[in-house]
Amino acid sequence: MFRLASLRIASARVLATRPTAVRRTVMPALALRWYSAGNGLHHSVVLDQIFQVLHDFDKIHKENISSGADFSIALGLDSLDTLKLIMAIEAFSVEIPDEDAMRITTVAATINYIQGRDDAR
Amino acid sequence: MNPRKLSGLQKDALRLYRDCLRAIEKKPEESRARFQAFARHEFEKNIASLRRTDVKAIEHLLRVGRRRLEQYQSPNVRDITIV
Repeated sequence: MFRLASLRIASARVLATRPTAVRRTVMPALALRWYSAGNGLHHSVVLDQIFQVLHDFDKIHKENISSGADFSIALGLDSLDTLKLIMAIEAFSVEIPDEDAMRITTVAATINYIQGRDDAR
Repeated sequence: MNPRKLSGLQKDALRLYRDCLRAIEKKPEESRARFQAFARHEFEKNIASLRRTDVKAIEHLLRVGRRRLEQYQSPNVRDITIV
């Protein structure tokens, strides 16, 4: 479906700018993809939000906060703390159901999850 | 610490704790920290004394915990003190 749409756009552009027929080699619609996923939230934006939550979390030492941090190993949180942390993150983005919340154990996993949700902000 | 293959029982416990956290969010702001400390303490004291294999004991505590949550989450309960 997207391929057809992009071909149509490509052909419209080609016809508008060049009167002579030219072989299409670029697909404009696909070339517009960027790495922030469907909801448009950029990796660094989500990371900043998460870091802010981690900063305000009284059980976490600031020097341990990093984008590669594992909640239990780097930040010393147990599973109860992790649930509380995820609730704080929810305030920023999306409501996270129990099943998903129990699976998120690192900063990277959190970012991936939020970027994967269409309704995140 | 945990390889993240949570047993059904572990998930139930986490679910109960999460429901407690959600109920705490609805409490008045001044007393939230006390409710949070209370919930945390109730879970901690049993985590220390139980083994993962004490299935019957864990199930019993989860049932009791769920019932207490239902009582404490009433909006009439506005603060909590630990003696």
